[in-house]
Amino acid sequence: MRVFALALVLVVAATMVIGIAGLPPHGDPDGPVHTHVGARYLEQGVAETGLRNLVTAVLLVYRGFDTFLEVVVIFTALVAVLALPSATRQPPPSRDESAAASRRDTDDAVPVSPVVFLVVRLLAPFIAVFALASLYRGHVTPGGGFQSAAIIGAMMIALGLVFGREHAARLVPHGAKAWLQALGPLVFAVVALVGWRLTGAFLGFPADEAAHALREALVVILEVAIAVGGAVILAQLFMALDAPS
Amino acid sequence: MTLVGLDLDYVACVVLFCVGLYMLVAKSNLIKKVLGLNVMETAVFAFIVTSGMIDGGQEPIVVAGSAPPYTSPIPHAMVLTGIVVAVSVTAVALALIAQIHAHYGTIEVDELKELP
Repeated sequence: MRVFALALVLVVAATMVIGIAGLPPHGDPDGPVHTHVGARYLEQGVAETGLRNLVTAVLLVYRGFDTFLEVVVIFTALVAVLALPSATRQPPPSRDESAAASRRDTDDAVPVSPVVFLVVRLLAPFIAVFALASLYRGHVTPGGGFQSAAIIGAMMIALGLVFGREHAARLVPHGAKAWLQALGPLVFAVVALVGWRLTGAFLGFPADEAAHALREALVVILEVAIAVGGAVILAQLFMALDAPS
Repeated sequence: MTLVGLDLDYVACVVLFCVGLYMLVAKSNLIKKVLGLNVMETAVFAFIVTSGMIDGGQEPIVVAGSAPPYTSPIPHAMVLTGIVVAVSVTAVALALIAQIHAHYGTIEVDELKELP
């Protein structure tokens, strides 16, 4: 297996080296990535979308379909993980006594070191503020909905590791959990239909100057939905894979 | 910076990709295979983002005090999409591995092959 893997790696590496030898020089202002549609986005992006962060402009306005389906993909992943029967509910078939014993040992919760406990507890509010700042300042600094979702999700996972998953599960209101998990796709669909009503194009954003406030509101709603929905999905994915309750 | 005519940034991506590919093919532990897949994905993301860079460029955020040239925003947006897909794939793969472990008590491919 090792020899086969090494041979495969060598063949793939040689192919890719030949490929990168034919690429335009890295960082060249006249390269194709900087001259076609990318150049137009940079010139017209702010005027056409009203967004100062052009990555967000590309993500939500120019390539909104990509992002819509991306939110659907991660939601589908959560559905798939939750649809599997809980792996931890039935104990694995023990093939011999020692294997079963070692498994019982690892199943016992490892006590959290006081250092980790304190650090996570101290840092959690700051992590939450950082996530909100990344969301709120996302139009003028690097950041936005997905980044914020990743930070909040990581905070919830850290809290779940330290305080136990029951405690962390309480961060998400039980009645609203199903709605929050589907928040991204749902809000995207609503915004897309609103855009359809206003502009005649699915996921269209009103482009005229007078509708600036409305356009901004639609983008903010999308960003918040991505952040909250994404964070809940990430935390749920982890909890679904976590050790037995 | 170049190495025998090749951009070093691209060479780094190729090396990282090959490390991931080797892990994916040579390792028999399913978790290590997923780790290898993630290393390969990281290499691809690094490659795409690198291709959008420009000499002396700034991040594509048009505010007071920023000036062209800006790096291309399209690779960034594409990679953001790719990362979410990678997370989804990893989550489903890990859930399936947990199922395999629950049913067979092992996640080594060579042990799984010997099972009746």
